[in-house]
Amino acid sequence: MRHANVLILTDEAEFARLLTACWQAERQAPSITVISSELWRSQDVPRHDLVVVGPLREGKLTNVLSSLDPASAAILCVPADSREFGPLRAKYPRLVHIPLREDWAQTLLLVAGESLRRAEALRLARQAERSAAKNENHATLGRYMLEMKHSVNNALTSMLGNAELLLLEPGQLSSQSLAQIKTIHSMALRINEVMQRFSSLDTEMREAENASQGETVETSGPVSGRR
Amino acid sequence: MAADVHLWAMDKYGESTAVQKKVLIIDDSPSQVKLMQTLLEKEGYWPVGLSDPKQVEKTIALEHPNVILLDVVMPDRNGFQICRDLKGNAEFNMIPVILVTSKDTASDRYWGEQQGADGYVTKPFTREELIRAVRRFA
Repeated sequence: MRHANVLILTDEAEFARLLTACWQAERQAPSITVISSELWRSQDVPRHDLVVVGPLREGKLTNVLSSLDPASAAILCVPADSREFGPLRAKYPRLVHIPLREDWAQTLLLVAGESLRRAEALRLARQAERSAAKNENHATLGRYMLEMKHSVNNALTSMLGNAELLLLEPGQLSSQSLAQIKTIHSMALRINEVMQRFSSLDTEMREAENASQGETVETSGPVSGRR
Repeated sequence: MAADVHLWAMDKYGESTAVQKKVLIIDDSPSQVKLMQTLLEKEGYWPVGLSDPKQVEKTIALEHPNVILLDVVMPDRNGFQICRDLKGNAEFNMIPVILVTSKDTASDRYWGEQQGADGYVTKPFTREELIRAVRRFA
């Protein structure tokens, strides 16, 4: 699994300290950035895979949530009786809420682990889609080239054959014409060599496709669970 | 210089005359037919060209070729089909068929053999390659 970036957005230092300590005790700790609502400017923070919003100063929660990237996964960890939380739940139905109860840290780590795995799976899916689109373009080009090979080979047959016929009776030709025909003949043979390499294109493309699939399987291998 | 590919036959007056080996060239491209005709003529063969693959049996019955050069990629009826039909025909199945084609993969060759082809020449061919393939049979 790629190293994940987590942003902890809170005005309570103890919340951030405890959560960071719990995460660092895990086998795979993400890169953690802690920031307060006073310093929060969404555009200044590097792209992150998960945002954990902890307790904030009164009235800050709405502003922070509205400034978050909608594509980012977010976990809200505030008291269940928070005055701001009620209306926000209706506005952000996909927001994961973990009430600040006794076992909040362990619950948050579990949910965050799943959330990061989901983000990683999405990233791999998008990567596979991009790779598939690229391979499809290559396949189209390959099919076109293989279809054209027949026409090119027919044209080459005429070029080579007629050049050979002329070279069979060199007496009728000037030395300059003879040299030119020999050039045409050797260049036609060169094109033929290039076309021979296209013959293996199908096999090469299949091998490249298998390698690409293997890479995708490798990067999407099983993720290590919690300790 | 024409190669020695003549058979000698006696005519009705008892005189010996040269009988050229006849090669039927089947290819939908007239320029390819013309090229192979010229190459074979220079080697002393008697080439007969045919660009319509639907007329194959009729032309064979008329011309009695010693060997057939057969293109594969043709409209209406491809060379594999023609080869299969000829090899399944008791009247024509003894005539050697050489596939002359731009289809050059191992599976193409294998499929050609499965249809009963006696030889396989890939395009583009050199003069020597074509003549060598024909000389095996005529």
